[in-house]
Amino acid sequence: MSEPPRRVPHGEEPDIDAARRRLAHAQTELLSALVAGGPTPDGFDPGRLLVQRRALVAKRADVVSKVAPEPADILAGDFRDLFFDYARTRPMTDSYRRDATDFVRHLLDAGRPRDAERRELLTAWWEERTTPRPAPGRTPVRLGRLVSALRTSRAAR
Amino acid sequence: MGHLGTGIGWRPEIADDIARLPDVDWVEVVAENLCPGRLPDPLERLLARGTTVVPHGVSLGLGGAERPDPAGLVALAELAEELDAPLVSEHIAFVRAGGPLTASPRLEAGHLLPVPRTRDALDVLCANVRIAQQVLPVPLALENIAAYLTWPGEELTEGRFLAELVERTGVRLLVDVANLHTNHVNRGEDPAAFLDEVPAWAIAYVHVAGGFEKDGLWHDSHAHPVTRPVLDVLAELCSRVTPPGVLLERDDDFPEAGGLAAELTAIRGVLHEAHRV
Repeated sequence: MSEPPRRVPHGEEPDIDAARRRLAHAQTELLSALVAGGPTPDGFDPGRLLVQRRALVAKRADVVSKVAPEPADILAGDFRDLFFDYARTRPMTDSYRRDATDFVRHLLDAGRPRDAERRELLTAWWEERTTPRPAPGRTPVRLGRLVSALRTSRAAR
Repeated sequence: MGHLGTGIGWRPEIADDIARLPDVDWVEVVAENLCPGRLPDPLERLLARGTTVVPHGVSLGLGGAERPDPAGLVALAELAEELDAPLVSEHIAFVRAGGPLTASPRLEAGHLLPVPRTRDALDVLCANVRIAQQVLPVPLALENIAAYLTWPGEELTEGRFLAELVERTGVRLLVDVANLHTNHVNRGEDPAAFLDEVPAWAIAYVHVAGGFEKDGLWHDSHAHPVTRPVLDVLAELCSRVTPPGVLLERDDDFPEAGGLAAELTAIRGVLHEAHRV
């Protein structure tokens, strides 16, 4: 593997680029195992990797449900399992908002959840979120009403 | 930099409680959650009252293989100026990987991951810290993180790793005693040995947070009460040096204001007890 020579910035030790490359490979191997379904790197405890992997995906699910609460509301008790399933091999590469719309698209493409009412709500949410609109950041009235209606009906069960 | 006192992590959910709590000397804010030029009103009111506000970054990933992102550094620098902060803090961690150095897609961890305690990682960290120090208008303090994982082939203890980092860069330390407890439970590392190895004078402030133990692992949740073992590590630290500041972190499942006040009182109790001996 050869790379073009690079000028060493002022003040950095000359062999730091080699150290950066070695470290980059080690960290990428570990992070791939944690967030992209990559193989377990040599020398790590597989049990601990599993704990760390779960902690990362739980945090990701938590943040996604905060920046985009509607899918979590619509999916209710199924949100976590469905999100964990989605996230297992799909690393986050962009924002949490983008993660939320990608997650919902993935679900809809897979025909999940099974019940049509929730799929319809998710479709409406995904369309609102991925279509440019004049007032960003607000949940549109119609969808907001649908979600609160769903919440109420679930609470009444 | 000087004295900070006893403080609490400012979060929007507990902004009203913090405003009413007696004797909160200072607060820390998560830098990435604030927009420069548009600070939340309750935070503006604290600043107007003269409360010190310290920005705490979580996304620079100074322990990562790449040079720190200039835009992220500039944002942190601008926030420090806007808050008139005496220092800023970040973590000894990596938060992303992939990208040009490996010719692979960029991966975001979304959280702090431990760096291997090797010579390579220390060299890279020192280089990254020097870059950050050139951009930041105030001193930088770096925090030891909580970990589940241990890298194979480590060459230094955590204390030695941090001591050399301080020696080579002059960076200050933010010692998180809950993270020391976490690594004691999860990696069998001795908090006292860590405290013996790091230069006490370099400690800018201390974090205290709650968590819980399950199946032999400590989870540094910041959503549970502060436990005795964590306060014991604080006492251990205070027996060596009087830290310029101590800060309670709570991120979720917030107790009533009285609960937060009680935890701050418990922290002050440990500090006073150490002074008496």
